[in-house]
Amino acid sequence: MISVQNLTKMFGSQAAVDGLSFEIPAGQIVGFLGPNGAGKSTTLKMLTGMIEPTSGSATVAGCDLRTQVIEVKRRVGFVPESGAVFESLTGLEYLEMVAALYGIPQAAALARIRQFIAFFDLSFATLTDKLLGAYSKGMRRKVVITAALLHNPPVVFFDEPLDGLDANAAVGFKTLIQTLAREGRTIVYSSHILDVVERVCDRVIIIDKGKLLLDGRPETLVAQHQSGTLEHLFTSLTGGAELEQRAADFAKTFRA
Amino acid sequence: MNADPAAPPPQKPARTPEQTLRHLFLTLFLRGRSARGLQKSGVPQSVGKKLAWTLILYAAIGCIALVFRHQPVFALSLYLHGMTLMFLGMFVAASAGEVLFNQQEADILLHRPVAPRALLWAKIAVLVQISLWLAGAFNLAGLFAGISAANGGWLYPPVHALSTVLEALFCTGSVVLMYQLCLRWFGRERLDGLMTTAQVLLAITVVAGGQIVPRMMGQFGDLSRLATDSWWLPLLPPAWFAGLDDALAGSGHGSSWLLAAVGLAVTGTILWLAFGKLANDYVAGLQAIGETSPAAPAARARRCWVGRLTAVPPLSWWLHDSVSRASFQLTVAYLLRDRDMKLRIYPGIAPMLVMPFIMLLQGHGMNGRQGGQGMGGFGIAFAGAYLGLIPMLALSMIQYSQHWQAADLFRAAPLASPGALYHGARRAVLLCLVLPLVAVFGLLAWLLGGGAGTNLLLLLPGLILVPLYALIPGLGGRAIPLSQSTESAKSAGRGLRMIWVMLSSFAVAGIASWFWSIGWFWPFLLVETLVVAGLYALLRHWVNTTRWPSME
Repeated sequence: MISVQNLTKMFGSQAAVDGLSFEIPAGQIVGFLGPNGAGKSTTLKMLTGMIEPTSGSATVAGCDLRTQVIEVKRRVGFVPESGAVFESLTGLEYLEMVAALYGIPQAAALARIRQFIAFFDLSFATLTDKLLGAYSKGMRRKVVITAALLHNPPVVFFDEPLDGLDANAAVGFKTLIQTLAREGRTIVYSSHILDVVERVCDRVIIIDKGKLLLDGRPETLVAQHQSGTLEHLFTSLTGGAELEQRAADFAKTFRA
Repeated sequence: MNADPAAPPPQKPARTPEQTLRHLFLTLFLRGRSARGLQKSGVPQSVGKKLAWTLILYAAIGCIALVFRHQPVFALSLYLHGMTLMFLGMFVAASAGEVLFNQQEADILLHRPVAPRALLWAKIAVLVQISLWLAGAFNLAGLFAGISAANGGWLYPPVHALSTVLEALFCTGSVVLMYQLCLRWFGRERLDGLMTTAQVLLAITVVAGGQIVPRMMGQFGDLSRLATDSWWLPLLPPAWFAGLDDALAGSGHGSSWLLAAVGLAVTGTILWLAFGKLANDYVAGLQAIGETSPAAPAARARRCWVGRLTAVPPLSWWLHDSVSRASFQLTVAYLLRDRDMKLRIYPGIAPMLVMPFIMLLQGHGMNGRQGGQGMGGFGIAFAGAYLGLIPMLALSMIQYSQHWQAADLFRAAPLASPGALYHGARRAVLLCLVLPLVAVFGLLAWLLGGGAGTNLLLLLPGLILVPLYALIPGLGGRAIPLSQSTESAKSAGRGLRMIWVMLSSFAVAGIASWFWSIGWFWPFLLVETLVVAGLYALLRHWVNTTRWPSME
């Protein structure tokens, strides 16, 4: 479903993504991990057609990223990390606008919106009467997730999707993506909450400084590196090994 | 003896919380609060440098005061205080809402051990401080002009400096007081809407006043005839402060003393109310600002209105493309509801309307009811052509928003070109802003022409250009609605394009009035229509086929 070959993105002389290659089949949930500045968001923006790769190639849902970028966009959903929305629209206006951008007829869009708001336990009155600027962060995130899934895409990219969601909504969301994957959709899930990734994802891809570090099933990788948890494995790979020492040094400053 | 290299460097004494807050708000204000949206290279490297350029610009504009150097003190001061009040009014009206009531700031600061009253004082101090810098720069040349004024002298600079400080306090105090009264009388729920309306009206008033008052003063011809005892002068705040200058460093007339006394009394009362009596209302407002605001019932009605409008002909034909329709509805929603957008668009457009309005009136004045001959015909034709600048300006401004990150949605959507998005925004501007203005100007032209159609015909050559001009901001994939941070608006270079369009409007108006005078107006109108239609098709194709500009 996703095939990436030597994907590279240069910003000036700096490589944000440096020769990344991987394959993701349909129906898989893949955790896409890396420390801050590793190139995760840039990779996701390339794979959603928002920015052009400097070199390399990729196909998403059978469409070439360079020659069929509009077809790629038609087939992917994206929840960006910012979770930004047009705050002077009501929730319903925002979702209807998204539906229009994807050419979904209004009646069909409304039916899907009703399904999503029922799933997220939102009231229709809230969606029609309140401007998004007055929504809580969690409610806004629910609207953004709904917007990403409204056109029923076979591939969905989530960048920190749980940010702001309450515990119930987070559990519901995890169940939702597992259901979507069972139906054959490909989910790419970028997050810093590693225990959730470990529980939800079939596979993880860890990158740092734009390069691929590890790719495999979470339990296999943890066992191979004798790390105990994905979190330990991640910190040992990405320069977080001396965190305990740093924390101890930090605590000393308060004793001085 | 060398100092011990291992010894810690001498520590600066810590700033007091009040100093820290003042420094924080000053830095935030000068850098802009949306700096996160800038590329690294766009972040201001030096706050001082940016401020210095602003002050130099104000000082340069202030040099116009040298024209008044041989006029009486009162006339010079009336000009200086009028213009200062306009600049400060614009600045404080545009800044006060963001400075005083910022939701993110409440999240960052209200849990700190800082008294809300200290926050208010720090913010007011910053507003007053910057107001004084701007006023000082603008009045610099005026201080020297006052020395050589007809009844001026060396006492003028210190006296005018004092009156300028009072005016800055009056201006800041008035705006802060307006906010506090809104908060007290109408509550948090309606504060946003009321403040937006009040700021828009205030900004429009000061800009329009700034355009009209100098022209009114020009009507006096000999400014020495401008008497301080005119009955209407106590109604104008700049006259109070000009009266103070004239009382202490000019003629010393009793009427000037009276004006000065009114100014001192009003300023004192406003400061007492704004910074003392009503300060507690600010504290309550700041605490409430972080609370989730309730449903906005008006939003639903407006949505229905816009939704219904686009669902029926002729709008449904005009907006048959779903992307254009979505962009149209988005733009209309922002033009009606978004406080930041309204504060940029309407006060930005207001001064642009003053010029065609004056041209229309002057055109009528020269024209009488004789039928558009000579300069009168040109004035009316120019008023029509000048309206073409409105959609250009509005569309250039609509691309900036505090919610610009949400526009990533447009890039993620399957759209080969931003053209359809631009067309939606363009149509929203044409329908919601330009059409009402054309109707108002048309009605005015018709009334001034005594009900005859002559003036309306003379407006036509300019109005034909409006759809063409409205395409210009979208060339090259630019002006995608709400896609740029508001910070980048400050550095946007729109001036050159506007000057070209203004010159072409001037040329079209001139040619149209000439053809009118020789009786060839209708053939000219036909040729103009054909040329504009050709250019329109060309530019529209260009907008439609332009690819997305790079995000990098």
